[in-house]
Amino acid sequence: MIRTADARREILRAIRESLAESAAGGGAAREGPVEPRAAGPGSAVGSTGSADPGAKPRGSTGPAAGASKDVVSSFTERLAAVGAQCTVVRGEAAAAHALADILTDAAARRVVGSDAPLVQRLLSALGDGFVRERLEGLSRDGLFACDAGVTTAQWGIAETGTLVLESAREKNRLLSLVPPIHVALLSSTCLCDSLGDALARMSRASHAITLITGPSRTSDIELTLVVGVHGPQVVHVLLLEEEP
Amino acid sequence: MSFERSARAALADEQLRGALRHATTLFGERRRAAMATLPDWEGARDRARAIKDETLLHLDRYLEEFTANAERAGARVHWARDAATACEIIGRIAAERGARTVVKSKSMASEEIHLNAALAARGIEPVETDLGEYIIQLAGEAPSHIVAPAIHKTRRQIGALFAEKLGMEPSDDVAKLAAAARRALRRRFAEADLGVSGVNFAVAETGTILILENEGNARLTTSLPRTHIALMGIEKVIPRFADLEVFLQLLPRSGTGQVLTAYQSLLTGAKRRPEDEGPAELHIVLLDNGRSGMLAAPVTRQSLACIRCGACLNACPVYRQIGGHAYGSVYPGPIGAVLTPQLFGLGRSSELPYASSLCGACRDVCPVKIDIPALLLHLRAEVVATRAGKPRLLERLAFSAYAAVMARPRLFESVVRLARMLRVMLPLGAWTKWRDLRPLAPRSFREEWRTRLRHEVAR
Repeated sequence: MIRTADARREILRAIRESLAESAAGGGAAREGPVEPRAAGPGSAVGSTGSADPGAKPRGSTGPAAGASKDVVSSFTERLAAVGAQCTVVRGEAAAAHALADILTDAAARRVVGSDAPLVQRLLSALGDGFVRERLEGLSRDGLFACDAGVTTAQWGIAETGTLVLESAREKNRLLSLVPPIHVALLSSTCLCDSLGDALARMSRASHAITLITGPSRTSDIELTLVVGVHGPQVVHVLLLEEEP
Repeated sequence: MSFERSARAALADEQLRGALRHATTLFGERRRAAMATLPDWEGARDRARAIKDETLLHLDRYLEEFTANAERAGARVHWARDAATACEIIGRIAAERGARTVVKSKSMASEEIHLNAALAARGIEPVETDLGEYIIQLAGEAPSHIVAPAIHKTRRQIGALFAEKLGMEPSDDVAKLAAAARRALRRRFAEADLGVSGVNFAVAETGTILILENEGNARLTTSLPRTHIALMGIEKVIPRFADLEVFLQLLPRSGTGQVLTAYQSLLTGAKRRPEDEGPAELHIVLLDNGRSGMLAAPVTRQSLACIRCGACLNACPVYRQIGGHAYGSVYPGPIGAVLTPQLFGLGRSSELPYASSLCGACRDVCPVKIDIPALLLHLRAEVVATRAGKPRLLERLAFSAYAAVMARPRLFESVVRLARMLRVMLPLGAWTKWRDLRPLAPRSFREEWRTRLRHEVAR
């Protein structure tokens, strides 16, 4: 029987004794106490100390209305570099067309979408020829049989070609992972310059935040790249620019 | 088997050396190319090390802060003083939930505590889901590299293994092999009751754990089963959420030469509402297992800054020749040679601090600037001081005699004269086996000075 409270006390005591020994032996002293910070889910306590999720640390460009051409182009370049596809569209009608094309080109029949309203709207606009699975009540086997998952992404990172998916916004964890094709809808106003910017903007209310950079890959055999080992083989970003 | 014998066996294995040469060279090239994409590499190394140093100096408080915030978010945190306790905690959680299959994503800490054997002893089947780990689990072997566990195997060997174990057509097509593993593992994911993962970073400020990967198996492991257990060494904690940036810049570049790995999962507690996706419970096991003792001196404390990128393995001229298995530890290479004696005791690994030429390549590539050569020398001194390892009576005798002679000029001269007269090549065994011993000059400098040079200089 393990008494975890005892183990905790014992480990903390061992740590303190070692650190005291180190300090006595001329090692770096433990300067001032560190105030423990409490962070409940949802509180944003970044190093910037700001609770504003749109805070811009280090004078970076924010999610400006009409993201600058530079951010969009470096994002799409990085996406290509990591083996993801990207289609830039303007307006929902164009997005629905593009989605149908993407799915048709990838020969996807069984499609499952997240509970995000935008995803639901675009899926309902899909014509016949697709089987739309409902996420609610979908079994593991049912999910494994899907060809494509459609989700939104909350942020994009231009510097790395990365999508950021927050669990608090929609059910996106399995849909972006299990089917061989993942289509992610991203507003161009949600592009961040760098990883640091994105970290500062992420919603800490999510119990799971997933960063996705390109398709699933492995190099475990002779360091030879294989795409799509456990996750999607195809990651297609549908980048929505605001209608003028 | 002793290090010397297993290293000798590895050197005779042409297939192994070919695989190692290919992999470590490629890793090195990719790392250098990725480094160039970060404008201030040195600055990033300094920042990362400073964050680690700050954390380690206050590790007790950061661990308490992490625990409080993780538990507030719904995780359950367990503390394990040693490997046996950690296995017991994980085994009990699995047994209580009636788990028969446990899917695992890559975790060096789980290798360290030999979790798979402990689960199997309880009748629970552990299934490794990272492709490299899956390969070596099928082969019944141990990982030979921190980042790429099956680096020592060729595609031909893996093809033969899969043909035997998975009943597929023999193939050396890497894509076919990966697809076969995907199919086999999808079945295991479908039935898994419990997932065990490692942790790359744990954020004290938010109680978040972060897991990096490329394949998606860690995401499946941490999102499909009802219960997720994350095992982490106590040194994985970092203070702030924003600190993740520099580590996410350094780790993928150093490890696989990527700007960013395909996936990062940032998990904060369990799901909030029953209808949310993901496991209903998250258990985090904090593992000490000898780590707290390393805090006792600055030289050993830096071992805990390691972020397990594996760059030092790829750079090491010893590892590049003999591979990971020769080290006889789950942690091979330069970082393994310093971690193993500290984690498992100097008695069982007294040869490892000597498994290095002290060239310093490991220190140069380390993203958190761990001075591994200094650590190796420190451990060598420990070996001598504690008389761990084999009794080196002759070595001791030789060094005391050497010290006595070198400290006495007259004695030194007579010894040199005697040696010349007898023309003895001292039986220096291990030394002269790999090096030439230069013959002694017919006359020493001192003799020359007395009889000739002094007068010439005077003129």
